[in-house]
Amino acid sequence: MMETRNPHILIMGIGNYLMGDEGVGVQAARHLQQMELPVDVEVLDGGTGGFHLLEYFESYETVILIDATLDERTPGTIRLIEPKFASDFPRAMSTHDIGLRDMVNALQLLGKMPHIHLFVVSIETIQQQGITLTPEIERVMPLLLQQILRLTHKLQYKETVDEIATAT
Amino acid sequence: MSKRIVVDPITRIEGHLRVEADIENGKIKDAYSSGTMVRLLEEILRGRDPRDAWAFVGRVCGVCTSIHSLVSVRTVEDALGIKVPPNAELVRNIMYCALYMHDHVVHFYHLHAMDWVDVVNALKADPKKTSELAQSISKWPKSSVGYFSDVQNRVKKFVESGQLGIFANGYWGHPAYKLIAEVNLLALAHYLEALEWQKEIVKVHAIFGGKNPHPNYLVGGMACAIGIDDVSGINAERLAYVQHLMEEGQRFIEQVYIPDLMAIASFYKDWGAIGGGLGNYLAYGDLPWNGFGDTASYKFPSGAILNKDISKVHDVDLRKEDEIQEFINHSWYSYKGGDNVGLHPWKGESVINYTGPKPPFEHLDTTQKYSYLKTPRWKGHAMEVGPLARVLIGYARGREEFKEVVDKALTDLNVPVTALFSTLGRTAARGLECQLAARWGMDFFNQLITNIKNGDTRMADTSKFDPSTWPKQAIGVGYGEAPRGALAHWINIEDTKIANYQLVVPTTWNASPRDGKGQMSAYESSLIDTPVADEKLPLEIIRTIHSFDPCMACSVHLYDEHGTTVSRIQVLGD
Repeated sequence: MMETRNPHILIMGIGNYLMGDEGVGVQAARHLQQMELPVDVEVLDGGTGGFHLLEYFESYETVILIDATLDERTPGTIRLIEPKFASDFPRAMSTHDIGLRDMVNALQLLGKMPHIHLFVVSIETIQQQGITLTPEIERVMPLLLQQILRLTHKLQYKETVDEIATAT
Repeated sequence: MSKRIVVDPITRIEGHLRVEADIENGKIKDAYSSGTMVRLLEEILRGRDPRDAWAFVGRVCGVCTSIHSLVSVRTVEDALGIKVPPNAELVRNIMYCALYMHDHVVHFYHLHAMDWVDVVNALKADPKKTSELAQSISKWPKSSVGYFSDVQNRVKKFVESGQLGIFANGYWGHPAYKLIAEVNLLALAHYLEALEWQKEIVKVHAIFGGKNPHPNYLVGGMACAIGIDDVSGINAERLAYVQHLMEEGQRFIEQVYIPDLMAIASFYKDWGAIGGGLGNYLAYGDLPWNGFGDTASYKFPSGAILNKDISKVHDVDLRKEDEIQEFINHSWYSYKGGDNVGLHPWKGESVINYTGPKPPFEHLDTTQKYSYLKTPRWKGHAMEVGPLARVLIGYARGREEFKEVVDKALTDLNVPVTALFSTLGRTAARGLECQLAARWGMDFFNQLITNIKNGDTRMADTSKFDPSTWPKQAIGVGYGEAPRGALAHWINIEDTKIANYQLVVPTTWNASPRDGKGQMSAYESSLIDTPVADEKLPLEIIRTIHSFDPCMACSVHLYDEHGTTVSRIQVLGD
């Protein structure tokens, strides 16, 4: 089933960065693009990509997603979810949730789901316009980046252990 | 007595779309369309470098991202008097055609088909009969009995797992579904094939635009260097790949999309008399063959048709202050000159003035302001924009390519030309222009190869890229035909910065509220007299609204009079 998937880890930030906090995923991806990352980690600004992103989900074994959510938690709350089905995605994902849920459904139907790790950041509103984050969200950006990198490291390390186990 | 039902996406973006419809004796008597999401891109752009505007507007929408960027660079080029080299025009056109191919196929199979195709019923189809049917309408190779029986099993398993997923929101079994089981299965199989297909054609954008989503554009040309032997630029290998993608894309459209469209349409001819609405159509035109200034060379001609009179096409001028104007009588904005004036976008204002109820609410007061969309008018007329407008204008202008595909479709379906003014006509027109765009894409590609062979590799004119070469003040308008309809941006540049930037987007034309004279816009008008068999499952409303292809996928909640959720479905709201 795992025909010729890219073994690299793809970190994908999604959202609309014209809508303030809604764009937190994209802003995080842009920070990560400026950083020195291991060669087997790639970063994509997925924007409001919708079905355009199917190719990426199909071609990587592991995808770390970053997105905003309107879930009435304290703004800036960061959660890590490992969705297996579309219904595991938070109900009130922001702009693109139907797009993303549909895509996960499609991947499942096609039998091509990658391992998805989803970081969601709680935001207060999507009615806000502008390309800057509110202080509540800006403040948690370093923590968000740190958590993403920690997960990335964990995934890499585990894969290495698996490889050694297979080789011996 | 009439009963009002509400179709409203709750937490979605790209301008939530809400429809309130009054139903009497099984038919829609009155309808109101409201954009409940504030959009103030104008404010984000003010004071910025005009050369960067394309990157911001490209993010306005998730689906037709590249068309906003294209129209934006055209706007700035118009203001500064920049003429792009022929190759840049061709590359833009090829990307444009690829966008149409992607967008229209995805709309048909993934956003609109389930309004006509009953997935659950497809599970009852006979794979052998489906195979015979498929082979009788197309030479597409995936048509064996085994293939359809595999698809059926795969979907059956999926449905039985309880994860209905994509298919969770349908009105399966609704009496308005008319297809035989075999056509349902055929369409379902192609739904899955189109999912895989669509991710290929968008690669054209990544090749020429450097990335996807949100490909790169450039004021003055395109940001891709042509060098046949260049490793990093547009080289022979990449061009061959583009050709392959465009050819395969065209094959799918000719052999799958069009035959399916015709097969499905033949069961729904009654929809050739439903959902017509305004009867006024507007297109700005697009796909220049000879520079953007030569409007006669456009593959999509511009023009306006009034009252379904296709014997006369009126000319349209986006620069004339008395032609395109935006009104706010029913929109949550205020103008300095008051609510009753119409402003040409060069003098446009974007000051929000929300006077609606505090959400959540049951009904909007539609006698007052009830939408965040302004109401654009052409010479005072409400106009429909989109595939049907483009196809009718091409047809009415006597363009042979349009006549060929339209007349063939009318003959095959055995319906009169008046059937075009309808929900069915809108959905059919989208397929027909997609077929044309696929052909034209190959024509543009071949011309690009010819130019390169002749030694022309120019891709940008940067002579006016430096702001020190610009006048102190400049105004410009850029326009085009987005997949959903006529799109234009207007810019005022002062001291090298954006002083004002106004966008009038297709869905504003179609989904806007009434104007000061009480004239409806396209969505509202198209719903009048639509039959609704079951007001708790208003599939018919969804069909007509979806036929316009509102842009971004939006969740819709259907409420009864008392505001309790009765059903959840999907609608698309730009």
